[in-house]
Amino acid sequence: MAIKPVVTLALIGIVAAAVLAAVNLATRDRIELEQRRQVLQTLNQLVPTESYDNELVSDRISAWIAGLRPPSTLYRARSRGEPVALLAEITTANGYSGPISLLVGLRPDGEIIGVRVLGHRETPGLGDRIERRRSDWIEQFNGTGPDRPPGADWRSSRRGGEFDTLSSATITSEAVIQAVRSLLDWYAANRDQAFATAAE
Amino acid sequence: MEGETRNLWQQGLWRNNPGLVQLLGLCPLLAVTGTAVNGLGLGLATIFVLASSNLVVSMLRGFIAPEVRIPAFVLIIASLVTVVDLVMQAWFFTLSTTLGIFIPLIVTNCTILARAEAFASRNPVPKALVDGLAQGLGFAAVLVILGALREVIGHGTLMADAHLLLGDWARMLEVRLLPGEWGLLLAILPPGAFIGLGLLVAAHRRLSAARPEPARSTNQVPQTA
Repeated sequence: MAIKPVVTLALIGIVAAAVLAAVNLATRDRIELEQRRQVLQTLNQLVPTESYDNELVSDRISAWIAGLRPPSTLYRARSRGEPVALLAEITTANGYSGPISLLVGLRPDGEIIGVRVLGHRETPGLGDRIERRRSDWIEQFNGTGPDRPPGADWRSSRRGGEFDTLSSATITSEAVIQAVRSLLDWYAANRDQAFATAAE
Repeated sequence: MEGETRNLWQQGLWRNNPGLVQLLGLCPLLAVTGTAVNGLGLGLATIFVLASSNLVVSMLRGFIAPEVRIPAFVLIIASLVTVVDLVMQAWFFTLSTTLGIFIPLIVTNCTILARAEAFASRNPVPKALVDGLAQGLGFAAVLVILGALREVIGHGTLMADAHLLLGDWARMLEVRLLPGEWGLLLAILPPGAFIGLGLLVAAHRRLSAARPEPARSTNQVPQTA
């Protein structure tokens, strides 16, 4: 009499586990494919498909970069084996209300191709203007670099630097600027290694 | 049977609406209704989970011992939600990135457990299925209306990003109702969700009071006859 509830619950558990295993099996490959396509779509915002010829999504390494939340993921675009661009997925913990994830494209010489926001929880209407579809603030990084313009002060204008600050979103702006700067500092010191290390 | 089915729909959509009358499932309700499309996405997922959980619970109602019914229901609901989560990741990937953390939240929607316990476990399969659909649709309607309200007031747009849910043709559904730079932050932030829901509940009560419930006798005729 008292054993029946246990058996029922166990049976339901077994059936549920079997169903979940089957669904997982049926969707696993597709989910992985979709995830790769998503990554590739994001990466292709910064490097056009025709500029490289390697398997971009697989040619990646992880890096521990000072000032950023580890690990950062670095994708290497190459054409006939020669470096074309480094695409870095980085996350800073210094956002106003949570981490901000960025994608930064660097040319082999360290010049920034562009920066895109991958995810954030900044205040709607204020900090969310770091998104490209809401304002062109993020475009100010295009073409800059560790010494471009020469002697550039990598701080927000509000703190005496050369980069524009989004009004009412100083913390957000500064977080993005410092995150990009941390990546540039790391790249300046690890330039050769970044492309030479074997993919994971 | 005819009148009973109609009664179930009335209960779910209006008289006993889970969002406006029972006030169940407020956690997902308030969390995702920043835009109409987010509301619609979670609404569709909730309808599916609610209808399937009612269906399964009703089918197993003679089999589940009363002592373990709650853990059994939770197990069934959690499995269904996981299935929805995986299927959405596989076939609606972009949408699942926006709704991502809210899909697992359906598990915490007490409407589903409440319907399983109060209705599906005591009624035959067809009735339980209708109840699940009606309650789910009622909940989804509140999600979409509250989402639309907050989106218009907060962003000045309606149905923005509809293509993520419905495919590329849906881009034309997006309309801008208020000038470009419009934005009332309060509506998008959590307080806006509470205020909006409060207004909807008030409107619902006002309308219900103005139009009293139809006399019970009409629904009971088939049973007494």
